[in-house]
Amino acid sequence: MTDPLFGVGAWFAHAVFAVLVGVGLFVLVDDDNLVKKVIGLNIFQTGVFLFFVTSAYRADGKAPLVTGPGPYVNPLPHVLILTAIVVGVAVTAVALALVVRIYGEYGTLREDVIREVRAAERESAAAEAAEEGSR
Amino acid sequence: MTTLQVVAPTLEVAVSVALLSFVVVVAVLTAVVRDVLTAVVVFAAYSLGLAILWVLFHAPDVGLTEAAVGAGVTTALFLLAISQTVRPAGGRTLVDPRTVKPSSVVVALGVTVGLLLTVPALPPVGAADTPAFGPVSDFYLADAADRGVDNAVTAVLVVYRGFDTFGEIAVVFAAAVAVLAALGRETLA
Repeated sequence: MTDPLFGVGAWFAHAVFAVLVGVGLFVLVDDDNLVKKVIGLNIFQTGVFLFFVTSAYRADGKAPLVTGPGPYVNPLPHVLILTAIVVGVAVTAVALALVVRIYGEYGTLREDVIREVRAAERESAAAEAAEEGSR
Repeated sequence: MTTLQVVAPTLEVAVSVALLSFVVVVAVLTAVVRDVLTAVVVFAAYSLGLAILWVLFHAPDVGLTEAAVGAGVTTALFLLAISQTVRPAGGRTLVDPRTVKPSSVVVALGVTVGLLLTVPALPPVGAADTPAFGPVSDFYLADAADRGVDNAVTAVLVVYRGFDTFGEIAVVFAAAVAVLAALGRETLA
């Protein structure tokens, strides 16, 4: 049976999955702001959710509330995604707590500035150590 | 009745394609806005679009969770984190394209193109004979109905795969401990 939901574009949702994963990954690796990086991680993750939910979908299926004759869509990927959403929030919470801690330590959310500060700290520590050694 | 059956699928197609396009546009918008608060608000709209999409894909449980947890709790967490930190001072609305690193463009494009190349090999969305539909799912649906549990998703979540859910709760507990430890608030006093 052909697919009435997407017809010719039956692969459109898969393409959207690929684009969302790409956009999320781009924000995750490119943006200098640490909060934006966490948002990128969330976009990446929801892209994967889209892949799972569409893989569970069948055009002639009903929602998996078993009250009459089937067919139903596949309930198993839904369960996996429910678990993944909750775990994703837990990951986001830990990441943001670390971001807040980093901000308290360095006074900035910009990754490049933090790198510079850390490099300067290492240099001054090395210079101090060299001074100690020459004495 | 027959007219409804003819009209309903096309309307569903139109709404689904529109929502999928909306989700892509909003994701790109989240990527290009410079202000973090704007990005968080746009991301909440993105989550809401996804929640409606899940309902259209007949996943009401996922839709409810996405609306409550994805659009609700996640946004609240982001706002809480932003309130503890600074937002970049005014100026540009969008990210400066000159600051984009070529290496990250290569990584993101490589992954996207790699995934797009695999798309034609995937079964079409909506097909009933895909590998995802195995005997396991049929057993869950039939057995849950036999035992009088109407919601198959709940049945799988708390009974057939209860250990998965137990692990999930362990993760949430570990995350709560990690957040308190990272913020230096291990003691209640």
